Amino acid sequence: MEEIVKVQGLQKKFGKFTALHDVTFTLNAGEVVGFIGPNGAGKSTTIRTLLGIINRDAGDVKIFGKDVWTDSLEIHKRISYVPGDVALWGSLTGGEIIDLFIELHGGGDKNKRDYLIKRFELDPKKKAKGYSKGNRQKVGLIAALSVDSDLYIFDEPTSGLDPLMEAVFQDEVEKIKHAGKAILLSSHILSEVERLADKVAIIRQGKVVETGTLDELRHLTRSTVTLESEGDVAKMSSVNGVHDFEQKGNQVTFSADNEYINNILTEAAKLGVKKFEAVPPTLEDLFMRHYEV
Amino acid sequence: MKEKFARWGVLFVQYLKRDWKKNIIWILGLGLFSGGYVPAFEVIGKGQGLLGMYETMQNPAMISMVGPTPVDTAADYTLGAMYAQEMLLFCGLFAMIIAALHVVSHTRKEEEHGLTELVRSFQVGRQANSFAVITEIVFINSLLALVIGGVMTSFGADTISAKGSFLFGASVGMAGILGAVIALVMAQIMPTSSGATGASLGIVGLLYIVRAGTDVSKVNFSMINPMGWTYLTYPFTENNWVPLITAVVFNIIVVMIAFALEGGRDMGAGYLPEREGREAAKKSLLSVPGLFIKINKGVMISWMIAFVIMGAAYGSIYGDMQTFLSSNELMSKMFTLSGVSIEESFTGTIMMVMIGLVSILPIAIVNKLFSEEGRLHLSQLYSTKVTRAKLYWTSVILAIIAGVVGILLASGGLGGTAISAMGAGSSMNMGDFIAAGYNFLPSVLFFTGLAALALGWAPILGKAVYVYLGYSFALNYFGGILNLPEWFSKTAVQSWIPRMPADKFNGTTFITMTVISITLMVFGYIGYHKRDMVEGA
Repeated sequence: MEEIVKVQGLQKKFGKFTALHDVTFTLNAGEVVGFIGPNGAGKSTTIRTLLGIINRDAGDVKIFGKDVWTDSLEIHKRISYVPGDVALWGSLTGGEIIDLFIELHGGGDKNKRDYLIKRFELDPKKKAKGYSKGNRQKVGLIAALSVDSDLYIFDEPTSGLDPLMEAVFQDEVEKIKHAGKAILLSSHILSEVERLADKVAIIRQGKVVETGTLDELRHLTRSTVTLESEGDVAKMSSVNGVHDFEQKGNQVTFSADNEYINNILTEAAKLGVKKFEAVPPTLEDLFMRHYEV
Repeated sequence: MKEKFARWGVLFVQYLKRDWKKNIIWILGLGLFSGGYVPAFEVIGKGQGLLGMYETMQNPAMISMVGPTPVDTAADYTLGAMYAQEMLLFCGLFAMIIAALHVVSHTRKEEEHGLTELVRSFQVGRQANSFAVITEIVFINSLLALVIGGVMTSFGADTISAKGSFLFGASVGMAGILGAVIALVMAQIMPTSSGATGASLGIVGLLYIVRAGTDVSKVNFSMINPMGWTYLTYPFTENNWVPLITAVVFNIIVVMIAFALEGGRDMGAGYLPEREGREAAKKSLLSVPGLFIKINKGVMISWMIAFVIMGAAYGSIYGDMQTFLSSNELMSKMFTLSGVSIEESFTGTIMMVMIGLVSILPIAIVNKLFSEEGRLHLSQLYSTKVTRAKLYWTSVILAIIAGVVGILLASGGLGGTAISAMGAGSSMNMGDFIAAGYNFLPSVLFFTGLAALALGWAPILGKAVYVYLGYSFALNYFGGILNLPEWFSKTAVQSWIPRMPADKFNGTTFITMTVISITLMVFGYIGYHKRDMVEGA
């Protein structure tokens, strides 16, 4: 697979404050990478570095194999970007702004533009100063999706959108994903990331602390197990790999290390299982686990 | 090259489209202002007018305000020479300030609003925006130069030649470009857009004051000053294009410096670091007055400094006045006859001009309340126990205090330097200066009252108060020169006040105007109390 984005040991300082310590991840063609992390972790700073509008202090950052700072123009020919807060010129209408953005990109598909305006239910004749947050966001999304790019960078793209429009967005992203495009999706809406992303990069305090497919990440963490047995279920608490043990009558809930799952099952079988449920961790669990530490 | 400037053309066309209304007002307004006074000056120049004006304009005080003339004898002081001396510097100064504000609003301000981030994510060069703005500025100022030249020539007045008219226009246009390039550099260096605006205007003000000094003492030194290259072209007399060529070279170099600086900086950041704020609020911030002082602090401090410098700059001229009188019999006689010393007469005039400028600060403070409202900064305050009365009166009272302190600083600065410049021969003491300053207090209150009235009933008109102030200021500045009819000069509010110390203090006028001003404020409050708050306009 073609490597579209490669970030290696990226560092960025603002004065004395180090915003990014060590950001490392890659993004391949036909792949959606979910970029998640708490506020102030450095998501937007990383994205601005990728766009070549701020310069890094150290590290290797390449898109399409080109340096993001020195070759930004070449790179921008083939990328689309939607920020989390789309700022617009109040005196222009939404339609005018979309056309301008398409023109600045280097041309796009007029039919696609009209189709998207309809799908996102945007009134393109209204002046931008009258748009709500969600409508401004739509303008950015329509402009970005109307052009043909190889890399799409979305920084909290659905903030302010209603759930229906969120679904439209996810639908459109799936289409471009199947067309073999690369997508970097930074978002706080974890269900959205879970649905769209193949890989996840978790950033915390300027450092990417975890990368991998959702499955890989899940494997690293514990599943939640609910167990009801005929025998004395309390015995389970001393089994290897069992944590956060809680008992309610004959039923227990605990989290289980995935590597010990076979062992746990064997021990449970000895007690006579009446009910056994194992729920893999959601992205939210992963997220919380990384943040709370 | 492409990496730097790609698609600047699209942005340029976009700017013309977005700004066309503003640009037309800019070009026509400044164009007519700069070129349209020819008939008025013809009236002044009739009979012995030019001769008298020549003598008046030899006064160092006048030169410090409007600039020098190359003419040595009254006989050579033509209509054109007079027009160029009295108008060129002032019009150029206007052009500089407007251009500087425009550049910052299209560079750093757009970065702060987040517009640049989106634009730059397209195939747009790192310097494309700056280049588009500078191109727009050059375009506007070229048109401006042609409009001024055309307007002036169209009057067909004697000695207002086409050649001189277009040089006059080009000088004003060049001043505009100079203001723009200064602002472009500041936009790269300063940490915020408001810092960039402040620094640009500060530099323009500094250049103006430095040239006031060099114009009076040794005009050749003014040619080292970039501002000098815009008004020392002497249209209609020497028609010297050389300073403009120097200015072109200078502007190109400065633009290149700005581009180099921009090439190395992050979007949204300047070279000077932003200071880190405090973690918890100081006690002094935790009240409505505390909050308002804090949000107006930058504006207040910079204007206060400007007032002192301005006072000091004009005060330093007092020393030269006696020298001027002893060398000029006619003027000397005139002053002896009227029974007023030249210093006293100048104090009255310059005080009116300075207190006019002092009025800007209170207007700005009152208008600030509305701009905070429009930006939704106050939305969270409305829902607390803070009343509208508290918001309104805190703003108005803060504005009044700022006006009172401003007058003290301006008149104190003037008096302090004037007394030391005059030395033993001083005919005035500090008290005279301070009294002359506070004599104009009602005019400051009046402008504050107007702004307050606008805030209450039609906050959009808050900006119009500046227009009226500018109008009054121009009338006062040129009133003495232009010999305007009585009713016309009376449309400027300051004209109602006698000019101390030459004239006597008029208690009735003072009290009447103060009462009218306070009434305006009360009316403003009635409006503010009941009108809808503007959200997000």
